[in-house]
Amino acid sequence: MIHPVDTLLALVLLSVLISFGSSRLPTLIKALAFQGVVVSIVPFFMGHNLTVGGVIFTLVTMVIRGIGIPLCIYLAIKKVAIKREVEPIIGYNASLLAGLLLIVAAAFVSPKFNLPQTSVHALLLPTAITLLVAGMFLLMARRNAIAMVLGYIMMENGIYVVGTSFSMRAHHIVEFGILLDVLAGVMIMAIILQNIKQTFDDVDTAHLRTLKE
Amino acid sequence: MVEFVFIAPMLTGIIAFFIPPTAGRLLLVLTGAIHLAMSLMLWVLRPEALFPVYFAVTPEGLLSLLVISLLFFLISIYTTAYLKTAEIRSENIFTGSMLLFLSTMTMVTLSDHIMVMWIAIEATTLASAPLIYTHRSAASLEATWKYVLICSVGIALALLGSVFITLSMDVGGVDVPVAFSSLTDVARQLDPLWLKTGFVFILVGYGTKMGLAPMHTWLPDAHSEAPSPASALLSGVLLNCAYLGIFKTNKVMHAAGLGDFSGTILMTFGLVSILAAATFILKQTEYKRLLAYSSIENMGIIAFGTGIGGLGAYGAVLCLIHHSLIKSSLFLCSGNILLGYGDRLIAGTGQLARRMPKTFVAFFSGFAGISGFPPFGIFIGELFIIMAAFRTGHYLAVGLFILSLCVIFAGFARHVMKISFDDVGTTIQIEEKSIMVWPQYALLTTSLVLCFWIPETLYQTIVQAVATMGGGF
Repeated sequence: MIHPVDTLLALVLLSVLISFGSSRLPTLIKALAFQGVVVSIVPFFMGHNLTVGGVIFTLVTMVIRGIGIPLCIYLAIKKVAIKREVEPIIGYNASLLAGLLLIVAAAFVSPKFNLPQTSVHALLLPTAITLLVAGMFLLMARRNAIAMVLGYIMMENGIYVVGTSFSMRAHHIVEFGILLDVLAGVMIMAIILQNIKQTFDDVDTAHLRTLKE
Repeated sequence: MVEFVFIAPMLTGIIAFFIPPTAGRLLLVLTGAIHLAMSLMLWVLRPEALFPVYFAVTPEGLLSLLVISLLFFLISIYTTAYLKTAEIRSENIFTGSMLLFLSTMTMVTLSDHIMVMWIAIEATTLASAPLIYTHRSAASLEATWKYVLICSVGIALALLGSVFITLSMDVGGVDVPVAFSSLTDVARQLDPLWLKTGFVFILVGYGTKMGLAPMHTWLPDAHSEAPSPASALLSGVLLNCAYLGIFKTNKVMHAAGLGDFSGTILMTFGLVSILAAATFILKQTEYKRLLAYSSIENMGIIAFGTGIGGLGAYGAVLCLIHHSLIKSSLFLCSGNILLGYGDRLIAGTGQLARRMPKTFVAFFSGFAGISGFPPFGIFIGELFIIMAAFRTGHYLAVGLFILSLCVIFAGFARHVMKISFDDVGTTIQIEEKSIMVWPQYALLTTSLVLCFWIPETLYQTIVQAVATMGGGF
């Protein structure tokens, strides 16, 4: 029987592929919101003994990652009615192929790390690696500033998977602090996005190349 | 008591967002003074924190805290005069962000928990972003965007590194609080593979924030676009905060017997940064970017010294302190020059010696200090680093190090001579004020005094900070 955690993680991998293949920003944001929700409920199925505080914290995480952060970005693009294309440097088909290759490579290298949890949940480490590298990929392969912020959020999701599944050491207050930092960071990025749009009438980062050597 | 040092500026920072500009300026100086007094009390008393799992008073933290406090106090005095002269829109956002920035940096110096440290360093990025965007121009927008995105992504890698270090505790079967002090005690039981991986990620992550090449690209933009008091804070103390994260992790590595591994990587990054600065400093056309590249050079020197360890680590800490004092005074001078000439380009200045004599004295002695001339402290720091490198037999590395320092000195000197003596037809729009010069004099005098006479308590604290790395004499 397939463990529920692996089912969830398969959904996360699917959301990565959707985000690689989609040309429109609203779809990309929805994929990220879905990913945020799924990633944050993984701890419920891990088989750790959850305390009341743990349950509350997981729910708060879900609300912030699944609703709060995507909403910030969505409001930013809604307010300024941005041309809703992601302006890829690497095309969608090539991106999809890269995504598939990435998942295969991640699944291939994961067993080499010899971590105890990977024997129970086969997809845990591959998903974490995929999310991290996919976030980097979006940062580099899209010129649209919003797509870059979404890449950053995807990376953060990956780190969250590593943090919650492989080591349960951090206190909830600390985890909460990290989450708050990420949320505040995304809010500031959303404000900058609005200003970029107002100044240049576009969010293509090709405009942001005047400062260089 | 310990936590109050960063809670106080946080509260006044929030207040500053809602009060009129004149009251905000007063609050800025007042908070600076109170903060300095509290830091001195911490230095003398060295109390226990209320939450010892998260916060602790450590020697390296105290050193950075005192530097932050002193710098902020002097810069806040300069800022009041600067704000009167320069036209800044929404001044309450500027003062509020300055105070929040102070609060987050203080939190970095006092945090002992590895994750709390990460939270604090990320918070410094967020608090300082509005400072860079103060001028509301297209270029400052670009600089802010680069700063927030590059630093956030970089620091995310440091978070991953911190998670790897907790993983090394799990694999090694260690159960202690995830604090640097307790990790140093049990370092030998940690799993070396994950500890090494964690260190590399933390170095790349915090190294981005510290301005180590090749992750330094945000630094010249942010430093040149921010108003000068903010640039002085960014360069003088923010870089130190990021370095503190690397320094503490490096201590754990030394305690675990992996000092050679971490040292080699630190030396490589340090040397690459110095070389990058030497390449770019020659062709700079703006004086604030020139100073920014000099900061990259100095961070490279500090990383290089820390990597060598022993006497080098001691030299690195000396360089760290003196770089903060001198570089912040140089950035404050650049603010005077910008106000006076109304031009960012080196070509738009000239004859500083005659037109702004007071600023010239501070600017020129700052230049002499930062390029490693005796009698300023950077000279001694660099001398120790070079001696340590020769002792440990890194001949090729130290050769490159000295060569780059010479190139940087030559490039820097050419630009400074142009600014100071070049006979061009520029005029001064705003005369210099003495209140905008004496904070620089105070900073430079402190550096000068520390060069000849280090108080016993300061010496002991530095030696304690670098003891794990085999530092001191």
